[in-house]
Order: sequence, then structure tokens, then C-alpha cells
Amino acid sequence: MAQQSKIAIFCGKGGVGKTTLSLAMGLRHAAAGRKVVVVSSHPLPELALSVSLDGLGARSPEAVQNLFVVHIDARELLAEVVQNNFPVEWMVKAVLNSSIYRNLIEVAPGLKEFYFLARLQALAERQDHGEADFEYLFWDAPATGHFLSTLDSARNFETFLTGPLAAAGAELTRFLSHASGIALLPTLTLEEMAMEETVEMCHKLAARHGMTARAAIANLVSPLATAGDAGVEAVRAALAERGDDPVLSFAFRRGLLERGRRELLAQTLGAPVVAVERVRHATDDVDLLFQIAGALESLPAL
Amino acid sequence: MKILVYLGTGGVGKTSVAAATALAMARAGERTLVLTIDPALRLRSALRLQEGLLEQQVPLDPPASGELWAALLDVRATLDDAVRMYAKAGMVDRILNHPIYATIADSLVGMQELMAVERIDQLAKRGFDSLVIDTAPSRHALEFLDKPMYFSELVGSNWVKLVGRTYKWMATSPMASLSEKVLDVYARVEAILGTDLVRQVLDFYSIFVSIAEGYAERAVKTVALLKDPAITEFRIVTTPRKAMRDTRFFLDALESRQFRTGGVFVNRTWELDGAAAGEGLVGSLAEWYAAVRQSHAAELDSLRGEFDARVPFIATLPELDSDVDGLPALERIGAWVAARAVT
Repeated sequence: MAQQSKIAIFCGKGGVGKTTLSLAMGLRHAAAGRKVVVVSSHPLPELALSVSLDGLGARSPEAVQNLFVVHIDARELLAEVVQNNFPVEWMVKAVLNSSIYRNLIEVAPGLKEFYFLARLQALAERQDHGEADFEYLFWDAPATGHFLSTLDSARNFETFLTGPLAAAGAELTRFLSHASGIALLPTLTLEEMAMEETVEMCHKLAARHGMTARAAIANLVSPLATAGDAGVEAVRAALAERGDDPVLSFAFRRGLLERGRRELLAQTLGAPVVAVERVRHATDDVDLLFQIAGALESLPAL
Repeated sequence: MKILVYLGTGGVGKTSVAAATALAMARAGERTLVLTIDPALRLRSALRLQEGLLEQQVPLDPPASGELWAALLDVRATLDDAVRMYAKAGMVDRILNHPIYATIADSLVGMQELMAVERIDQLAKRGFDSLVIDTAPSRHALEFLDKPMYFSELVGSNWVKLVGRTYKWMATSPMASLSEKVLDVYARVEAILGTDLVRQVLDFYSIFVSIAEGYAERAVKTVALLKDPAITEFRIVTTPRKAMRDTRFFLDALESRQFRTGGVFVNRTWELDGAAAGEGLVGSLAEWYAAVRQSHAAELDSLRGEFDARVPFIATLPELDSDVDGLPALERIGAWVAARAVT
């Protein structure tokens, strides 16, 4: 096992399924006996409301053993720093409650993001007897704009500041530029806005951080998006034969849009686009996640 | 004047719905402006939107009895403009060239909302019958309204006074006005967060003070407009998958601030019934459609069950079978909006 976790970053527009996909990926590896940590962008109580892992024990005891889900709250990290640095409680309270501290935390460009990344790095480098504690780290990244500014924060600290924070910034930049150890997995639905945002994000990541996508993941696609050309022609023929079928015609047109976009995206990014079909029936969330995990089998190795 | 504010998270089609609503109002004879944040390329070209501050009349064919105008909220340009208009002479260049200025315009959470307030104030004076506002795709789009005094509170802080305009606080700042406690706390915060960073930010605030007061004054006026139920109505846009979570969140946020909630649009709903079965791919396509259709209907039932009593209307807007690629698509959506909203 390596000294550092293998990292995959699920990044992209809000609402495309980054959280679900990173959990599914985590489950898949955990069920295969590998120790995995998923860093969720949602606080855990909120996450528990939207995805339930009830029944995981029955389905895969192995996964229960190996899957860890954490949320890193930068405000809490900073509050901890304050706690540890002020000798008396009234000072801690005075600082944490002062509006200027709170504003400083919010507006100091990249401060929260910087502390977040530092904790992410610490997780990935956590070792037990010389081996990485977690074989895989999956980062369910925040939505595009915030994700980019998070990555930028390390370099900005290195560039604009002096002292210990600048040194930490340089250290983080090195960690992030360790390209072979980090798989960038832009995630999207095959819709216009998500496409535009993904392409623009990948350009910025390449230009600013030298990062390129290992593969893109197209989530919630129709059966048509993954079908062969012959299949598409068969549907077209069936439609012509039926004459007026507004429902099938609607489904067909949406499916065709997705096919076109998938092709265009693969060309533009120069990376494979793995399609995850919208799950039609699932008994519960765990079942849903395992079905999605199955679709992720065709991802290139991390 | 009427103001219609659309709230919603990312990817729900809020920008298209806002533009379509404005178009329908123009068709109904009003002089309407839509202020959008980040439209897709095709929508941007359909509305002839340009970077910068000028609003643009959108040519319509056939012409409307009213007028449709569109403007893009450009955070950096709005901020630059506010600095030029309101900063004291001699401060303009120092602010615009400050190292923190660029990062603050780009990365400051809430800047989009703060600048939206600035733009609403400007636009309210231009004699439109109605303004349709597309907010940032964020759950926090309302929080900015809680703090119109944001900048002036910041720059009025003891810490900012302490750091002073040019770091020469020893010479210029009346030390007696700052207690030892403040000094001690400040020194420690600086030690933790880094001297450069803290000083840069505070220095920036201290020169930013000259626009802060003007900003706060306008923000208070704008917030009063938005709180007036006779003028402003907030509508939530969501999609079937996110409907419960989004509606609960935004409705709570609106009610706790005593804003008037107009209604909820569940956009991109699949509404067609009667998928025909078939063999092979035709069959799985039909099954796929039916599964999505059914899940949308179920979501909508739960939504109505829980929120019908709390909002004037909950209405669906159908998913199109193509992209929103221009005015014809907006006309269709606009007609649905006009027919399905209850006012």
C-alpha cells in the first residue's frame, strides 16, 4: 500500500449528484475490502436526511467496516485554532463572537478554503505503520466556483503572503500538483448549463493547476445515451411506424440531446465520459448506491 | 413599480423562468426589466446580454405591447462603478488598485447579493413597471438582506480603526479609545491568521469606508422595497427532485424575514402521460420515461400535501424536449408562467 491515499475528486455544478456518486464509489471499494474515506461537502446530519445507509450492514458487512464519511467544517477548524491559542475562555468567546472575527473569516480571501485543504491533506497522508490509513479518499467537492477558489487558495497564500501560512500554502500546492495520485472526475448531467460549466471548469483547472480530467461522469442519463447507433435507428423506426406518440417522441428527443452532448464532451475534454443511467427501480438508498457503483465499474483505474 | 424575485438552487432553470416571466409581462403591456446573473450562452445571446452595466432592450418579433429589457449582474463592474461614484476623491485609485480588491470582488461570499442590492437601487429609478430579479443560485441568497449595514459595520470596527489607514496607527489613532483587551485580542488573532492577511483585509476595509456609508444608505432603501408586500413578491423555483428540500428551506427563510411569498414553480416536470410499451430499447426508453414521470408525480403530491396551505400557489412548469435556445422557448415558458401563477 502507498504512503498516501489515492484521491478522486468529484467536482462540478451543484445538484448533478456528486455526493451520491462519491458515496457509491466509496461503497464499491469499501465492499471490496479497501479502507475508504468520503469527504462530504454536506454536514453529516443534512447528508443523513438525503441519503440513508440503513440496511448496509445486511447487504455488506465489509463495507460497514471500511467506509468512513466525514465532513470538514472550516469554521469549526478555525474556532479550534482560536480555542487552542487563547489562554482564557472569555478571550475565546470575545474573539469567536466578535463581528470582525466572523467577517474576517468570511472575507479573508481563501482562509476557510485553506484550512479545509490542509485538513484534507492531513487525512490523505494519515499513516499507520508507514502505510496510508485510508487506501482511497473521495472528495465530494463543493460546486464549481467554490471548488475552484478552494484550489486557488493554496497558491494565493503561497504567492501573496509571507510567514508560516505562505509555507503551508507552498506545501499544499505541492500536494495538489502530485497529479498522478489525484484523479479528477468532473461530474455532470448532460444538460446545457452543466456542460458549459464543466468545460469552463476543466479549462481553468488545466490552466491554473495543470490538472486534467481522468474521466468525466455523466449522471442520470437515459438508456439512449449509452445505446449503440443501431438501437437509436430502431427507436427512430418504431417512432415513425407509430405516428403520433408524444411520450416516446419526448423521451427520444431528450435522449438524442444527451448522446450528442456526451460525444461532444468526450472530444472537448479528451477523456472518456462514463455514463451512469438513471436508476429505474431501487428498493432503498443502499440498493440505489450499489446499482450506481456497478455503472462506475467502467471508470479508468485510479 | 412591482418587483418579482426568483429564488432557487443551481440547475433548476431559474434564469430561464425569470426571463420568460419578464417576457410574458412585456407581452401583457408592461415595461419590464429582467436582471440575470449567469445565463447559459444561448439565453445570453437571445437576450442580447453584454458584459458591463448597461441594460439593453430586447427586440421582439412580433413586437410586444410593452417592452422587454435585460441586464446582466456583473459583480466586478457594479463594484467598480460604486467605487467611482461614491468613493472620496483620491481614494478611487487606491481602492481599485488595492491587492485585496480583486480577490474580494471575485471571491467574497455574498458579493453577488450585495451588488444585486446596489443594482436594484439603480434600476428602481429608471421608470420600469416591473423588475424581475434572478438571484444567485445559492441557498444563502437571502442572507445579504439581513445585513445592509454590512460594510459600514465592518469598517466601523475597532479592529479596523486599530490597523489604521496606512498601518501608522500609533501616530494617528487615539490609543485611549481602544481598550487593552481589544489590543490583546487583535494581536493574538493576527498571530493566528497571519499578519499579512489580516492587515491587508483590514487596511482594505479602512479605505473602503468612504463607499460603505453610501452603500449602507442605499441598501436600507432597497431592503425596504423588497420587504414591502405591495411591491415585492418572492417566488421559489425548484425541480421535482429537489422540491421538498428547496421549498422547505426557502419558505422558512422567507417567512422568518417576513417577505411575501408569491408561490412555488416546480420546473422541468415531466407531465406527459401514456408511455407506450415496446421491445428492446423502445421498451427501456418507455420504462425510463414512466419511472421518471412517476417519481415527479410522487414528489409533487408530497409537496402539495405539506405546503399547499403555506403558499398562494404550487405550480409545475413542463420540461421542454429541447434546450432553451432562444426567444421562442421563452415565449412558451412565459405563457405557462402567466397561466399557472396565481396572483
